[in-house]
Amino acid sequence: MGDILVLAEHRCNELREVSFEMLTAASKVAPQLGGEIVTVLIGSGVGSFAEKLAGYSDKVLFVDDPLFANYNSEAYQKVMSELIKQYSPELVMVAHTTQGVDMAPALAVELNMPFVPDIVGLGAADGKLVPVRLYYQGKVNADFIFKGQAPYLVTVRESSFLADEPSKKGAVEKIESPLKEDIQYRKFVEYIEAIAGDVDITQADVLVAVGRGIKEEKNMALINELASSINAVVAGSRAATDAGWLPHDRQVGTSGKTVKPKVYIAIGISGAFQHLAGMKSAKTIIAINKDPNAPIFSVADYAIVDDLFKVVPKLTEKLKELRK
Amino acid sequence: MNSEIQSFIEKHDLLGCIQCGRCTGGCPVTVRTNLNVRRFVYDSIDESMLDELAKLPEIWDCTTCNTCAVRCPKGLKPVEVLIGLRGILVESGVIQPTVRDALESVFQEGNPWDKPKATRMDWKDGLDAKIAEPGESVENLIFVCCTVAYDPKLQGIARNLIQILNKAGIDYGLIGEQETCCSSEVYNLGEAGLFEMMVEDNTELLNGYDAKRIVTVSPHCYSTFKNQYPQLKADVLHYTELCAGLLKDEKIVLTKELQSKIVFHDPCYLGKQNNVFDEPRFILSKIPGVSVLEFDRKRERSLCCEGGGGKMWVETESRKERLAETRVKNARELGADILAVACPFCVLTLDDALKAKGLEEEMKVADILEILGEVAG
Amino acid sequence: MKTFVCIKRVPDTSEAEIKIDPTGKGVDSSRFSFGINDADNYAVEEAVLIKEAGGGTVKFICMGPQDADVMIRMALAKGGDSAIRVDDPRINYQNPLQAARVLAAVIKSDEFDLVLTGCMSSDDSNMSVGVALAEELGVPHAAMVKKVEVGDGIVKVQRELEGGLSEVVEIVLPAVLTIQTGINVPRYSPIRGLREAQRKELKVLKLEDLGLDENSVNAANSMVELQKLYIPEVVSNAEIIEGEPEEKAEKMAAKLVKGGLL
Repeated sequence: MGDILVLAEHRCNELREVSFEMLTAASKVAPQLGGEIVTVLIGSGVGSFAEKLAGYSDKVLFVDDPLFANYNSEAYQKVMSELIKQYSPELVMVAHTTQGVDMAPALAVELNMPFVPDIVGLGAADGKLVPVRLYYQGKVNADFIFKGQAPYLVTVRESSFLADEPSKKGAVEKIESPLKEDIQYRKFVEYIEAIAGDVDITQADVLVAVGRGIKEEKNMALINELASSINAVVAGSRAATDAGWLPHDRQVGTSGKTVKPKVYIAIGISGAFQHLAGMKSAKTIIAINKDPNAPIFSVADYAIVDDLFKVVPKLTEKLKELRK
Repeated sequence: MNSEIQSFIEKHDLLGCIQCGRCTGGCPVTVRTNLNVRRFVYDSIDESMLDELAKLPEIWDCTTCNTCAVRCPKGLKPVEVLIGLRGILVESGVIQPTVRDALESVFQEGNPWDKPKATRMDWKDGLDAKIAEPGESVENLIFVCCTVAYDPKLQGIARNLIQILNKAGIDYGLIGEQETCCSSEVYNLGEAGLFEMMVEDNTELLNGYDAKRIVTVSPHCYSTFKNQYPQLKADVLHYTELCAGLLKDEKIVLTKELQSKIVFHDPCYLGKQNNVFDEPRFILSKIPGVSVLEFDRKRERSLCCEGGGGKMWVETESRKERLAETRVKNARELGADILAVACPFCVLTLDDALKAKGLEEEMKVADILEILGEVAG
Repeated sequence: MKTFVCIKRVPDTSEAEIKIDPTGKGVDSSRFSFGINDADNYAVEEAVLIKEAGGGTVKFICMGPQDADVMIRMALAKGGDSAIRVDDPRINYQNPLQAARVLAAVIKSDEFDLVLTGCMSSDDSNMSVGVALAEELGVPHAAMVKKVEVGDGIVKVQRELEGGLSEVVEIVLPAVLTIQTGINVPRYSPIRGLREAQRKELKVLKLEDLGLDENSVNAANSMVELQKLYIPEVVSNAEIIEGEPEEKAEKMAAKLVKGGLL
């Protein structure tokens, strides 16, 4: 009755920030719903997380069982399903992450829950929740309402809500796992770390791309520093690979490769048509160029019209600071 | 299986080759790549080698400039052997993703640039441009070209053409959004099946206009319509031919001066393949103030800019100086202010080369239509 | 392996300017180009690779209008055996759970070992249909799959997690996998092959053919409702970062790290 159930997310001994972001979002609408914020923590030996989460919750339901030593969406679904049936919350929040998307839709079907995935905003008007999501690669916002009966389910996009400082003192309640034995039809085997080595720019999440604007090979040093500060891979326009500053397999464009990274930072690239064709589908494009009319700005999400030699070193410095 | 491969030898008359080497001797990319087209003609005779040959990267270095075909004393076309090998790779489905995307784009959207059909005519926004109606008679049916229509760097060329034609007061009409890729590059990339389909569809479309002639902006479209579209009813002209005629008839009047030294770069698809050399020069020579310079490698010997033959979608492995860079260096050495071209691919490659060589302050690359646009009244 | 692949026809909006239509709940799509959803294209290739390695069949399911037939034929030409297109305007495609219900109805009427979907569609980006479909079918699943190894009655898959990490899981068949882009290199299907694909079966079905009551999949009975679409206030063109070079750098760094862009 008016409660919000939030599934905390963790992996490899790290409680992920999105858990606090969801709890913050929950706290903004909880008054309208009139219930409690209840965090669900499922894991094995993650007791310290419960304490941290208690700072954001009215109650933490803590399932501590070796069955959950590693994430298994089928196992998590069983637990969530039981808890939802038991506690009848109004809203259930799961992170929209590789963990969350692997489970939430199945949970929604199982319990016949009204479901809005990948929300970037959550409002409440007249006691009604208004989940907001994006369409067409972030170009359009969409406001939804729930028509069916609670409990409602949303998955929450990372970094859409900024986590507040902890302000609550929730009680941590250890509960028995509703799941009694290992799931047989889906088994966790192992984790694999990314191998540093041969670089395929089409697989990189973050690309720093250079063009003619950097003028000489020796200036690649400041680009490389920027890239390593954010674990980015360096790519380039045809001008950069032509000039020999980068090997050909780093070329982005119609005669090179088409890339779709999360972040594409275009430095000193004018944005010729053939280059744009190779990167226009990147999720976020940041362009640094001193020419305000450079075509690259027509596809950029963020425009820095300035001298790259002044901006890039500072950017690297600031990024290093923030990431410490 | 046997009969299909047998026809590769027959199709390209491989046994007619006397291995004289004139093809490789004239091939412009040999200075910077491993491509040895004479070897390919020879090796392709062993039908069991074809699949392996088709996987070699140097077959993509060919720009289809056709110098080899022009020079062959036996009238063979070594370039077609390379295109045939590309075709074997295409049929296997395992081709470079950039080539795959270009071909799928032609099939689905009628252009190789992954752009929607619906925005093909955006270049003419704000311009008083006439659209031809199928069935109605039109003297000059204008075929713009996918690259000119969609690339912001080149759209000005089409705009200039329309403005010139408007001022000349002649009868013309654009095709509009129905215009789809001439598929010259589809052919060159080796997708014969798609090419056949496009020829069929385009022929039906173009014949549906009661047009006296089709005028193209790109020499690639020009050459393909002229030589590879057997059922096309209308005559085909390149815009330089049309404009030269209009200048002669004083329908185009030049009202301004242009104090410039201009060197003309003969596009392979206009010059050595179709023998159109004089009309572009005629146009330039008519402009008051212009002195027309000539490359040593002019006319039939023009140095390919490496824009055609699928090179917009496939990079060479070579790190040596691009032919386009050599060309702009030569132009600058001649003292030219403007390197004039009459082909959109040449514009792109030569302009890129100009910037790579850091010569943009000293010289410009311009299409003849852009130059004409500045001086025509 | 009897594999089903669910494919969606989506617009390419990477460069397009989006205009909300007069209803306020849709967009003007007249200037878009359409094609197969990117992740689905990878799923098609993966299914064909599995068939080429170990035999079996590949069947495609698409929900959409006749314009989608071109895309379906292109997939068939790559190595598919047959396809079903569900063309029914009553279906509320916007709700991924209702969409999954339709797909499940198609698949349940046949035998299957494996169902592949793209992990996400580029227009809606719900990332939900595949996993919801698994629940509808009552089979296990894994989402965001970057590698598939077929075993005896099982598949061993690598799931792509955040931060370059991967997770290996073993799933018992029959199962649903949602496929991440980059798992393979989709082949080109030459036009000559398309002619042959014309002869492969492409059935067009309506809800009645699937034994589905329209009330289970229509907008009227959707449990969520779109109120309105709107262009966000942050300018849909580039947000210009202002200030001196140092300030610009600071602002951008903050957006990258704190704003979660990375």
